[in-house]
Amino acid sequence: MNIIEVKNLSFRYSQAEVLRDLSFDVAQGSFLTIIGPNGVGKSTLLNLLSALLQPDSGTIKIDKKTVESYSTKALAEKIAVVRQEFVPVFGFSVIETVLMARTTHYGQLGFENDTDRQIVNEALNVTDTTGFASRLLSNLSGGERQRVFIARALAQNTAILLLDEPTTFLDLKHQVVIYDLLKKMQMEKGKTIVVVTHDINLAAQYCDEALLLGTDGSYQCGTTKDILTTEQIEKVFGVRTFVGRVGQGKFFLPLGKFAKDIQIVSTNPNCNPLK
Amino acid sequence: MEQLLTAKKLFRRVLLALIALIVVMLLCSLIGTQHISLKSVLASSNRQNAIDPDYEIFMHVRLPRIILACIVGAALACSGVVFQAILRNPLADPYILGISSGAGLGTIIAIVSGFSWTVWGRSPIAVFAFVGALGTIWLVWFVGRFTGKSNVTGLLLAGVVVNAFFSAVIMFLTSVAKSQQIYATIFWLMGNIAEEDIFVLWMGAGFIIAGIIALFYISPQLNALSFGVDDARSMGINTAGTQLIAFAIAALITSIAVCLSGLIGFVGLIVPHGVRLIFGPDHRQLLPLSGIAGAIFLAASDTLARTIVAPAQLPVGVVTAIVGGPFFLFLLIRYSRKIGWLNK
Amino acid sequence: MMKKWWCLLLVTICWFVAGFAIFDISPARSTVAATSPEKISRIISTAPNVTEILFALGLEDKIIGVTSESTYPLAATKKLNIGNFWQPDIEAIIAAKPDMVITLGFPLYPQQQNLADRLSRLGYNSLTVFNTEKVSDLFDAVEKIGAATKTQQQANMLITDIRKKLDHTTLLVKGREKIRVLYVVQREPLRVAGRDTFINELIELAGGENAIGPTIQKYPPIGTEQLIACNADIIIEPTMGQKNTGQLQNNAIQYWSRFKNVTAVENKRIYVVDDDTISQLGPRLYEGVETIARCLRPELFEK
Repeated sequence: MNIIEVKNLSFRYSQAEVLRDLSFDVAQGSFLTIIGPNGVGKSTLLNLLSALLQPDSGTIKIDKKTVESYSTKALAEKIAVVRQEFVPVFGFSVIETVLMARTTHYGQLGFENDTDRQIVNEALNVTDTTGFASRLLSNLSGGERQRVFIARALAQNTAILLLDEPTTFLDLKHQVVIYDLLKKMQMEKGKTIVVVTHDINLAAQYCDEALLLGTDGSYQCGTTKDILTTEQIEKVFGVRTFVGRVGQGKFFLPLGKFAKDIQIVSTNPNCNPLK
Repeated sequence: MEQLLTAKKLFRRVLLALIALIVVMLLCSLIGTQHISLKSVLASSNRQNAIDPDYEIFMHVRLPRIILACIVGAALACSGVVFQAILRNPLADPYILGISSGAGLGTIIAIVSGFSWTVWGRSPIAVFAFVGALGTIWLVWFVGRFTGKSNVTGLLLAGVVVNAFFSAVIMFLTSVAKSQQIYATIFWLMGNIAEEDIFVLWMGAGFIIAGIIALFYISPQLNALSFGVDDARSMGINTAGTQLIAFAIAALITSIAVCLSGLIGFVGLIVPHGVRLIFGPDHRQLLPLSGIAGAIFLAASDTLARTIVAPAQLPVGVVTAIVGGPFFLFLLIRYSRKIGWLNK
Repeated sequence: MMKKWWCLLLVTICWFVAGFAIFDISPARSTVAATSPEKISRIISTAPNVTEILFALGLEDKIIGVTSESTYPLAATKKLNIGNFWQPDIEAIIAAKPDMVITLGFPLYPQQQNLADRLSRLGYNSLTVFNTEKVSDLFDAVEKIGAATKTQQQANMLITDIRKKLDHTTLLVKGREKIRVLYVVQREPLRVAGRDTFINELIELAGGENAIGPTIQKYPPIGTEQLIACNADIIIEPTMGQKNTGQLQNNAIQYWSRFKNVTAVENKRIYVVDDDTISQLGPRLYEGVETIARCLRPELFEK
């Protein structure tokens, strides 16, 4: 079942057309990555999916209904979004932050009930943030904060999770921790995950599907195996890559003009760049 | 989970705060230039015939004044909380979006035009101030909307522009006004708490308390808005509706406060911060407690203002400024690292 | 969810309706029958000229409180202090249990009018006089106070007396050529008494004419150009309460010497006068007129 259906989506900011006639579907329970060069409209696409922006033309259907037909509250029950971290000026604690995801379910007086607390506890557990539940958001490291925002998104208890570059500024360990967490959500809870990322390698490792957006408005959608290839990457990013294989997975190394041993790599018959 | 705010905890805290408020009100009403005794006040409330000056002073001079200080203080503090939330800026106060210059303009127009008619026995100054304040803030709202849908910066800039323009008009009118009129304008603008008749107090209190309760209703949404409009929307909050309601109510109660007592500064700025420092930023708690703290603060300031240089009186705005100024500086130093529009 | 909003609306409406029902919204005028004029025995005055009038009407014993500016006659300084002119102390006034409080009025003195309104709302008998600043207001005020305190006879006598003394001076200067006077109330920026003030009336009574033409403001600030153009014959400056008149006089002559082109400076006709009787509309008005007349025509008063 396709939980997200995008047909002929076009959008332009006042100066430039960003998305042109984009169509793709996301199956329920899949892990999609949206990849492309800067400025190609990845974040815009996320905003369109979560109804923060209105498309100029085309339709977006979430769970068979158009995005416009959902009220803000109803849409928040279907989609949760994790953006680049934003720390508010006034100091909320971790648990207060995660609890806010349940705001629309509060009772008459504006307080959460036991179900809400349970859901929040679970979200904290899953993201391994229970340990600092009462710490202020501003006193955490970048990685810990990102986990908190993911916990908040999880507490919304939605079928779909949209994330905008969740691992930028994170160290290696936390990059893996986050993606492991997302994969767990997909596999154990059946959530549909859509991640915008610059990190091709993590995407290649974890994601099933990929949407590759090009600056000329072209796009490719399919399995990561099919989409993430040296030719596609070179075409879209304008960068040559060296593809290596580790077990079942692939990794890409971008090759610039001054990349080390580039001559050896490209001319050595023993190095086998796989397609 | 223990440190979480629950309905019971909040109720208890609000109750305690209210008790503190009543104690302060009582103490303040016993302090003044004339020495009065509580005993004779209580005694005369039974006797109808003889007019005891202690009773007179207590009931008709001090108590109305303290009640007025309480409702104005509560209005300004809660309004400060709301503007700090909507604008996501710790330096916001109720006057930031042009209310002060709008009220001032209304006042000086009323004075210079020499109207001498009265509305319900009150001078037109208050009415004009109210209209000026409310009108200006809506002007700022619409101008701000033009620059971008939920753009906080747009609002702030519109406020600055409107403030500057109205201040210029005020200066012009002041230069052609007669000297007593200037005195009256300045006196009013400096903020003053005087005894009002009970009907006015009743109505004013009605609006303000209703406004504060309405703001309490949307406190969870205000919490979510602290994370930005986009995040709040994604969590299911109707951000446009919440911002409009919050803005409208804050504008209304501030305009009423200004109409009742002129421009009293610093209450709307420092009380929210003080309460936040102790109790945290959760608006469900911050709002009612700030209201009560604002009432206590202004009642105490007013008592100080009318006794410290007796028999003369300081304008209450002077006292709040003397306390507020250093505190504002402290805030600036503490928050300058964290202010959103510096870091963004 | 909506239930709590409807609840709030309902309660708020009930609150307002209750307010209209319970309280009397018309401005509370003294419901207590105003003490009849004969019985008034405790009077408070919030202005120095009112105090002077009360003394002049022979009501000294009935005055129980004055503001700190009331320094004439000397007996006034011994009365209970109830604050100062700009901020009378309402608590002290109430504590003194007055029968009547006399204040100045709107639109000239809004804070005094405000006090009067507050007091009458509380049920006190308050009287306002001097809503404008004309010499005729002085006579109106005396009449009004006389009527309220059942001292009409004394009031009429006082009015006649003041009129007589004023006429004495005006007769002296009648028919003579008008001398151009500039009455300077502030030096920097330069402010003078305009045509719409009662100081102007006094100047005219004293046989002079205001060097400044009609202006919007009562006490307009004027520039050096206008100062030279108006070409005043004499310049008068008030002492504003300071006592060292001689020193101030020297100081003034020195100050004005820089404006060499003005006739008054050329002829060294700069006068610093004690303005106690000029700046306020009180029973000693004729003294004020005489003071000014002396400046205009000193030769008339050489005895």
